[in-house]
Amino acid sequence: MPLLLGSYAPDVMSKWFVYGIHIGGWDLKATDPVQFHRGWPGVGFTHSLLYGVVWALIFWRVFGSKTWALSFMIGQWAHAITDTGDTVGTMLFFPWTIHIHFGAWAYAGQTGRLTDAAAYFSGPGAVWDLVWIVLGIFSWRVLTRSYFEQHVFPADAFWSKANRFVPMTALLVAYRAAFFYGTCRWIAWSIWAHVVHHYPYDISWGGPHWVNAAHSPSLTWPQLAGVFGIVATGVAIFFVSRREFGRRSWAAIRSRLKLA
Amino acid sequence: MPSKRQWMVAAGYAVAGAVYIAIGVFYTDILLSFFVALAYLLVVAWLVPAGVRRLF
Repeated sequence: MPLLLGSYAPDVMSKWFVYGIHIGGWDLKATDPVQFHRGWPGVGFTHSLLYGVVWALIFWRVFGSKTWALSFMIGQWAHAITDTGDTVGTMLFFPWTIHIHFGAWAYAGQTGRLTDAAAYFSGPGAVWDLVWIVLGIFSWRVLTRSYFEQHVFPADAFWSKANRFVPMTALLVAYRAAFFYGTCRWIAWSIWAHVVHHYPYDISWGGPHWVNAAHSPSLTWPQLAGVFGIVATGVAIFFVSRREFGRRSWAAIRSRLKLA
Repeated sequence: MPSKRQWMVAAGYAVAGAVYIAIGVFYTDILLSFFVALAYLLVVAWLVPAGVRRLF
């Protein structure tokens, strides 16, 4: 559950304002949707690694759950890193406000929800989603009742608390809902875009090129060097802490077994 | 390979998915929110079968 919530967290409060909504006689929409969604000033910080870390600290220190902290952060990081695949990218290292972007598929959020959907499900983004659907089908065992009862349910207290009010069958359905939704929306939007409306496929790099995509400027060499430095530092910290953790764990095991 | 019962469950979800997709293609608003899909799935894969079992 926290993994799912984390993966939705970056867009949950912002996407409606990017596309715009109509309430009564009011039209609410960001004047600069791209800046609002991914930039600063704006809510682009929701697509940064730091945002996931802050929420993880809240879940860990305030609510006392390491499982929720780590899972939420993984989900949020997955979203933030995945969105670097489009032509705008994300401020991954916020408060450094440069946009990390690989430009694999067109960012078209500013064109409205329907054109954005048509573009996304016509380009490399659709292929990227399909990879995960196929991986999910190959991993079908994680969707079975036995896997849910033996691995998922005991690992997260949310499920046992929810089980006081709703039966296990309903929880199992809720657990499967994310894969159900991801698969069905992919098929439905593809049919809508290509069978009902005949938008052309263009899975070339940066496509589809028929849409008016938004772009971030390319990184300069000093910026690239800075990014490389941050990533290298992060990797080094990860391996050193892992080694340190391994050394301490081994010492604890030896002490417990009275080997030394 | 999945058991016969697991295939039956998967077929049930496939039918539920086909209906959701058919609605979604013509009424795209339901494709925009995970929570709408969750509510739909709870109704068709839990509440309705539970109600039918209770009736018969």
